[in-house]
Amino acid sequence: MLFSTISFIYYFLAAVLLIYFIVPFKFKNLVLLIASLFFYFYGEPIYTILMLATTLSSYIHGILIDKFRGKVWSKVFLWSSVITSVGVLGFFKYSDFFISNVNSIFNSEIGLLKIALPIGISFYTFQTLSYTIDVYRGEAKVQKNFVRLATYVSLFPQLIAGPIVRYTTVEAELSDRKHSFENFSYGATRFIIGLSKKVLIADTLGTLARTLYALENPSVVSYWVYAIAISLQLYFDFSGYSDMAIGLGRIFGFHFLENFNYPFISKSIAEFWRRWHMSLGTWFRDYVYIPLGGNRVPKLRWLFNTLVVWFLTGFWHGADWTFIVWGLYFAFFLMAEKFALNKFFAKIPRVFSHIYVTIVILVSFVVFSANGIGGAIADIGSMFGAGGLPLWSKDTAYYLASFAVVLIIAIIGATPLVKSVVLKIKATKTGNLVCNILEPIFVVAMLLIVTAYFVDGSFSPFLYFRF
Amino acid sequence: MSDKVKNLAVTLSFTFFIAFFSIMCIVRYFNPVATSESERRPLAQFPDKITWEGVIDKTVIDDFEDYSVDQFPFREFFRALKANFQLNVLQLKENNGLAVQDGYIAKIEQDFTKELVEYSIGRLQYVYETYLKDNGGDKYIALIPDKNYFLGKEYGYPSPDYNKLVEDVKTALSGMEYIDIFGELELEDYYRTDTHWSQDKIDAVVNKLATALGVSDRLTGNYTKNELYPFYGVYYGQSALKPKPDTLVYLTNAILDACTVYDYETGKTSSIYDFEKFEGKDGYDFFLSGTKSLLRIDNPNATTDEELIIFRDSYGSSITPLLVEGYKSIYLVDIRYVSPTMLDKFIDFEGKDTLFLYSALILNSKSFK
Repeated sequence: MLFSTISFIYYFLAAVLLIYFIVPFKFKNLVLLIASLFFYFYGEPIYTILMLATTLSSYIHGILIDKFRGKVWSKVFLWSSVITSVGVLGFFKYSDFFISNVNSIFNSEIGLLKIALPIGISFYTFQTLSYTIDVYRGEAKVQKNFVRLATYVSLFPQLIAGPIVRYTTVEAELSDRKHSFENFSYGATRFIIGLSKKVLIADTLGTLARTLYALENPSVVSYWVYAIAISLQLYFDFSGYSDMAIGLGRIFGFHFLENFNYPFISKSIAEFWRRWHMSLGTWFRDYVYIPLGGNRVPKLRWLFNTLVVWFLTGFWHGADWTFIVWGLYFAFFLMAEKFALNKFFAKIPRVFSHIYVTIVILVSFVVFSANGIGGAIADIGSMFGAGGLPLWSKDTAYYLASFAVVLIIAIIGATPLVKSVVLKIKATKTGNLVCNILEPIFVVAMLLIVTAYFVDGSFSPFLYFRF
Repeated sequence: MSDKVKNLAVTLSFTFFIAFFSIMCIVRYFNPVATSESERRPLAQFPDKITWEGVIDKTVIDDFEDYSVDQFPFREFFRALKANFQLNVLQLKENNGLAVQDGYIAKIEQDFTKELVEYSIGRLQYVYETYLKDNGGDKYIALIPDKNYFLGKEYGYPSPDYNKLVEDVKTALSGMEYIDIFGELELEDYYRTDTHWSQDKIDAVVNKLATALGVSDRLTGNYTKNELYPFYGVYYGQSALKPKPDTLVYLTNAILDACTVYDYETGKTSSIYDFEKFEGKDGYDFFLSGTKSLLRIDNPNATTDEELIIFRDSYGSSITPLLVEGYKSIYLVDIRYVSPTMLDKFIDFEGKDTLFLYSALILNSKSFK
């Protein structure tokens, strides 16, 4: 089920809110669990069993790791948990990738399994992994109540497209959490902001990107606008989803961590990744990079650690060489920054580091969205005039003019400008009063507008569903 | 307003909004709407059969998604809100592929779909090869540009490659004489809310065709202009913008009034203009009763025995009456609704002149499939 649908908001959410706030606290997790299973079942009927099995595996492994704490068996069960989870993920997500590569290398003809990718498997697998690892490390208490653990894994606000919520983040709130108008109000507003980002900006930019990519008469500028549109679309789509997840979580009393922090204002690629998909970045940092030794190792080892982490980051996004190249592309710039670029950019005006980051990011998302490595090379080539593309065309002018307002809104919205203006206004008594009056009006107005887009729109899944 | 009151206000606004529309959805379940008049399409209904297989293969869920969107309460209001937000707030130039320029609504397309155009031209080629190649009559073809041709030419909108379309048609039907009517038309010759041209504004096209067909001296060009209001064109509802409706204009004179229209499908005879159809779903069906596979217009006051066969779409319905003075009879064939293989059962092609008159919009559609 998608957040940006009539069925989710006016059927599912309405029913869940009603039941959830009627039942006593002791049944609230059960309500959330049943609702979440239905939510998943609605989109993935068969794979609901897989998700439950993964949860059960983590539940049992968690208990066993805790039971044999301090003994070798604890480590055995940890590895068993990791192998089981990664194995399931590998089988369902990467089987055909490996088979097709083996076929290419050895000229064999092993048949592809053609398994449909279970929605959200990358997210919930990483959540269950974080649970068992944290239990092993003693950073999380073992959860002996299956309903609570299953509620954590399947919690519908963040189930299928993140953010990757660590068990430790919601551990306490699974057994005791506060429901208040303050939480509900914050959550509702945050949900509407995310929904608007997705429906009004990301989907519109998606239309622009698709149109420009399919132009009969493309130009160099049309490819650059495409790169900007696709980058902003990804940002507003994914950060919008994260806003909705955080908002819905807050309505139900959970405090999820932030997943984005205006990544496009970064002055380096390292900073960009501290601001983009933060839950994934910190997951790889805590469960892969630091266990490998992090940066407190010799240079060569650090290079190896960096390559491993970014190979995995790319591979996590999809079973395709394009994603691996995309991850390693970032590894290259992170290394370049560490050894030379940071020193260089420190000596010149800051604007140049912003330009550098912007170009690297735009090119990265062109690779990310490309149809294979060949397609990525062709698209990047087109951005730089390969194949004798004209600089400008009539159609480029038309679409740039048509989407100018949306592009401007998106560019401004990708910076903290609006937030800082609102905070400044709120800092005064009158300003706070005005903002307080406007907020409920804003919520209703945006609900009306996005509903209008649902009614007159077409199917538009979230981009991160495929990961 | 304190923060506490604001929190309460936001919570209540959010929950009441969702609760209101949820209840309206439940009410709508008991009173579903069958069709959308403005979009001219049936609306999805609640899945009639909910089976385990349907749930597993997700067809039930897909059907429910369609139902929840189509049957959402206040559908027209929300469609209008979206269109206005898209065009007036976000300043996009199109909504659902429709653009509005100087009040004229047009479908914007980047290019023709090669497969569709090739298929359509192939059907025309079949007719030519089967019935016309050696029939002894003169053969003509004319293409009618869509409004997007003028939006592309004059206002910078993307526009399909009309030059290529014309060249493709000329090449495929090289045995026919191509009559170029593009220069005789402008955007204002079309209805604002509809795809079609207005009968009173195509005299230049009529003259060009009549001259090519060699009947211009038989046409008087004297007509009385009549109006019907309101005329809701196909884009009136699709655009969701509630523009001012058009006024449908039709031309009459004594010769047209005396003409009869024979419908081969029903065996009935009627007149050129069908007032009942004007009140129907598509007001443009007023001309020759709309979609008809095979018609014959007989002109009892004709000063000649010549007959003409026109292969046409709905644009032909409004222009043919203006050519009728030049002939004893005009056959109107719409091969979208009759198999071209059986035409010789109804029409004797021998020695008759033929005109293919098609809009680019139709050639680039699935209509011929």
